[in-house]
Amino acid sequence: MNEEAELNRGLRFHWRLLQGGEIRGVTTRATGASQRATGLPDLEHQIEFCRQAEKSGISGLLTDIGAAKPDPILLAAGLGLATERVEFIVAYRSGLTLPTTFVQQLNTLSALVNGRVSLNIVAGHSPLEQRYYGDYLAHRERYARTEEFLAICRAFWKNDGPVDFSGNYYRIEGGKLNTPFISPHRSYPELFIAGGSDDARNLAISQGTLWMRLADTPENLKVSVAPVLAAEKEVGLRMSIIARGSREEALHAAYGLLAGLDPSLRDGDKEKRFMLRSDSVSICETYALAEKEWLSPWLWTGAVRTHGAPAVALVGSYEEVAQALIEYARVGVTQFILSGWPKLDEMILFGSEVLPRVRKTVHQPQPLTNP
Amino acid sequence: MSSVGEKWRGAKSRAAQSGIPDLDAHVDFCRRAEACGIDSVLTAFGFHRADPIVLASALGMLTTKIKFMVAVRSGVCSPTVLVQQVNTLSALTNGRICLNVVGGHTPNEQKGYGDFLSHDDRYARTDEFLTVCRAFWEGDGPVNFKGNYYHIENGRLNTPFVAPDRSGPEIFLGGSSPQAFGLAARHAHCLWTLPRRPEEMAPRIKALLESGTEVGILASMIARPSRKEALSAAQSLLAEVGDRARKTHQDFSRVSDSVAFTSTLALAEENSSGWLTDWLWTGAVPYLGAPAIALVGSYDEVSDGILEFTRAGVTQFLFLGWPDVPEMTAFNEEVRPRVLAQYGADLDISLRGRI
Repeated sequence: MNEEAELNRGLRFHWRLLQGGEIRGVTTRATGASQRATGLPDLEHQIEFCRQAEKSGISGLLTDIGAAKPDPILLAAGLGLATERVEFIVAYRSGLTLPTTFVQQLNTLSALVNGRVSLNIVAGHSPLEQRYYGDYLAHRERYARTEEFLAICRAFWKNDGPVDFSGNYYRIEGGKLNTPFISPHRSYPELFIAGGSDDARNLAISQGTLWMRLADTPENLKVSVAPVLAAEKEVGLRMSIIARGSREEALHAAYGLLAGLDPSLRDGDKEKRFMLRSDSVSICETYALAEKEWLSPWLWTGAVRTHGAPAVALVGSYEEVAQALIEYARVGVTQFILSGWPKLDEMILFGSEVLPRVRKTVHQPQPLTNP
Repeated sequence: MSSVGEKWRGAKSRAAQSGIPDLDAHVDFCRRAEACGIDSVLTAFGFHRADPIVLASALGMLTTKIKFMVAVRSGVCSPTVLVQQVNTLSALTNGRICLNVVGGHTPNEQKGYGDFLSHDDRYARTDEFLTVCRAFWEGDGPVNFKGNYYHIENGRLNTPFVAPDRSGPEIFLGGSSPQAFGLAARHAHCLWTLPRRPEEMAPRIKALLESGTEVGILASMIARPSRKEALSAAQSLLAEVGDRARKTHQDFSRVSDSVAFTSTLALAEENSSGWLTDWLWTGAVPYLGAPAIALVGSYDEVSDGILEFTRAGVTQFLFLGWPDVPEMTAFNEEVRPRVLAQYGADLDISLRGRI
């Protein structure tokens, strides 16, 4: 097998799950926390979205966690029963549930959906929201706790006897669970560790299977992902996409996104207020990156101020966006969690126009760019 | 719920039981329970079982009427998380969820979850836990709480409890200790306890009933057309489970700190006749565990037994059968009509099944 074929086989594309209140043709902001409707599952539209994702070649759907959203494990259980192939990338953070309980819930979910579940571990980004749940730890300590949390989870997933652990945050004695992680392929879920800080990257290396970060240019990424690849872990990117028939149409859609916002949102004040309260390194860094609107001819930060940090977007023709994804693949990225505006419409375009171009291109032998 | 497909599950040690849910069998059971007019099914909590609230979410998607009584322990998650999960499940099932709050029964198992509190401290923590949960369900603003076990600041959730007729779930609370009674009086709609002779129960539950909390019993049922057939079914139950099961429950009793479970096991061991009344049998308890305390007899006798409990003030029943489905069917067709005929249509008697 040549390198390109190998590259292609390993590439997987995920999408953010549709939330309550987001229906076809309707655009919402990335954080959405101010919207009551995001708190309610919308089974009819969400199931339709999941089935479309399956048709569009999307591997997994990111199921958010937060006080503004329904519980992601239960929502994934509900949607998993209405779908066949798509996976649910359950976002979770430590400090909510004890690790034994969490493993029991996740293993139960895996048994109900035949292993179609992976994890996107986040550290939490809002100290105020953490306190809703009784969690008062600062950024750095949250990572230390998450490290212990995942070490215990992995001990349960090894499934080779009672789990004992004594750390700074957790103490477990003789832990046993009779429900294993069930999957045709794995004995534990894929563990995406999300976050832009060194703490997050180190955690991905020590406990994760993949480091999930926000987008930057491939050149900048190359440096930051090197230790992760050296540790034989995967790298994933979370970003948005605006792909259209021509570059001009894509630019029009991108700027139209800002123009279409109601004035109270356009000034970016809400997003700014959220950012100022956040202690997430990646959210703050991406916000700083957005000082420069175009990081490359196709990497646009124009929506970050109004739509949140994951709104760093690939903007261009189908071919340009496909090529950009391949550039990321060449620096070692193997998985993407994508989104667009509106979420469903962009996913359909991605599946029919961009994905076939990616698959076609990387099938053709091409020299890998040298460092 | 988790006994589905395993007739003698109660005879096995917990460690030997499968925790892998058999979705088809569970769904089949729920639909049969719906057909039998059962109001709700209990999904229990334990290290040896699938997680009850995740399982209920899946089953809720595949059923239409039955409610899920989800077992909940404090000490395994933040109360905010529990409220978020319960509210999510309510939204997925249009409110078909109520809670069975339990204190935990085995310190060794609790430690596997990272919980090292003693029996009494667990009740104190559960008190705080339920105070926080109810503030989310009953209050109309951010939740603030500071106690010995929980500290919540400005707690808010976007997912409300969704039901046609309620803003929070019915709360059942299991236990027999004084702490359980006190906690039920403060927080629960109904206390689940294990049965004793009705005339013994009446004075014990009087104060609780006066506080406005209902009392329910968790028990097994062996109802047959004649007393003779019921006794013979009870005897063959014992013959099938055997002495190994007896040791299982003796072992369990030594490590458990549950007053409800250990006192019932002790009562059964001491009571050589195996009968507390003509129809209340403890004979299977040493083999199948405390909830195997059973109403045994003809349909008439068993319905009379239920009526005696109602006269003592008991208004809810959670039954299990060995196995469940035939017993549930007999209950629906033979026992329930007899009870309701005498009890009157204006009395609210909820009949609940346990899977």
